[in-house]
Amino acid sequence: MSFGSPYTTLPDFEYHKPTSLEEALGMLKQYGDEAKLMGGGVGLIAFMKERLMSPAHVIDLKEVKELKLLDVAPGKGLSIGAAVTLSELLEGGMLKRDYTVLHEALAKVADPMIRRRATLVGNLCEAIPWVDSPPALIALDASIAIAGPDGRRAVPVSGFIRGPVDIDLGPSEIVTAVDIPQAKGALSAFEKFTGGSEFSLASVAVMMSNSGRNRRARVVYGSVNSTPVRSADVEEAIRDGITPGSVRKAADLASEKVECVDDVLATAAYRKHLLKVITTKVLRRMMSQ
Amino acid sequence: MREISVTVNGRVRKRMIKDNELLLDFLRERLEVRSVKAACWRGECGLCTVMLDGHLVKSCLVLAVEADGREVKTVEGITDDGELAPIQKAFVTHGAAQCGFCTPAWVLATHELLRVNPHPSDADLVEATNGLVCRCGTYNQIREAVAEASAASKARRQPRESLARA
Repeated sequence: MSFGSPYTTLPDFEYHKPTSLEEALGMLKQYGDEAKLMGGGVGLIAFMKERLMSPAHVIDLKEVKELKLLDVAPGKGLSIGAAVTLSELLEGGMLKRDYTVLHEALAKVADPMIRRRATLVGNLCEAIPWVDSPPALIALDASIAIAGPDGRRAVPVSGFIRGPVDIDLGPSEIVTAVDIPQAKGALSAFEKFTGGSEFSLASVAVMMSNSGRNRRARVVYGSVNSTPVRSADVEEAIRDGITPGSVRKAADLASEKVECVDDVLATAAYRKHLLKVITTKVLRRMMSQ
Repeated sequence: MREISVTVNGRVRKRMIKDNELLLDFLRERLEVRSVKAACWRGECGLCTVMLDGHLVKSCLVLAVEADGREVKTVEGITDDGELAPIQKAFVTHGAAQCGFCTPAWVLATHELLRVNPHPSDADLVEATNGLVCRCGTYNQIREAVAEASAASKARRQPRESLARA
């Protein structure tokens, strides 16, 4: 019998299931600090079992119509609603074709049963330094759409994640979507090293836009510091193309220049080594594409 | 407390529950569906896996109240005539269970895999079941069982095709 034992039960709360964004915002305003928003619930349920969170009210966003949208506007990019699950995102092939880096990052998150419940926005809002979606989204120059009592605003993903478990979101605000600019024709890829851990010890997201003379590279490292780290040095090294020479140079620069931290998963020195390995791996793969 | 109504293996079940109850507890404790196992409680072992509205989910990460008005299927519900499904027969033939604790989840997940993808590759099998753990380590036997059930479905399909050609 599991009732009553620690780590298996949830604290007492009242469950709410709003069907519109307006209703959800109203509840958030009414319950304030006592409420927690639930997307897929994967993180929230785990945190509640550990009693890291004991909200009196849980507001489930799964039935909020506006948040279930997955929009592709021609020439405008992709908008992913907060209630869209990772499975829904990965199905259909659109992500794989036009936003490869995000597809590669999400396809290896946890397992299919968890991806059926987990949402991209939930994954971001947890702001755990070792998750894979933030570097991929920053490489794609994505932004977060937020609704609150005073209207709507947008912030880039890089600014939204301020630190471990620290995001730019007010207590009465709700993230409605992740917006990704059009990336058709761009070359992008993701690589991570987990070493058997449930989290990445180091990850890299690369995006090369090939539009004429405005060729740009964006290279973002995840899991090596408290927030994702963009490397101008590595970007510069591959700006004129991915060649065996530029790959070697980029890998050396990644290891040398990207700041890494020691934590429970790995030492900074080990991460520096991994940066060299995954940078080489991801760029070689892109070279042969 | 509130009353929820969940269709479990084709039968409508109504129970009073608390808002903070897990689907796992609802199934095991309130409905006594004991094939749904409780082990890690944190979405890692996968032994509480059930189908919710046609998709595999881990019931320790789902609130019971979320299943209100929806359909749950457990291993008892994969056939409706009381006969074993081909994958269940193959599990028996290949001894794909040692202690048997994880077997209901593996049967349910591989049955679903074969429904969606009748001829899965090794990589497909690994990907589809990487959220499940068997601590006795019967993975090789499970792989053989899936291969046999897959081959059986090929054998069943061929006569129909040759019939169509004739």
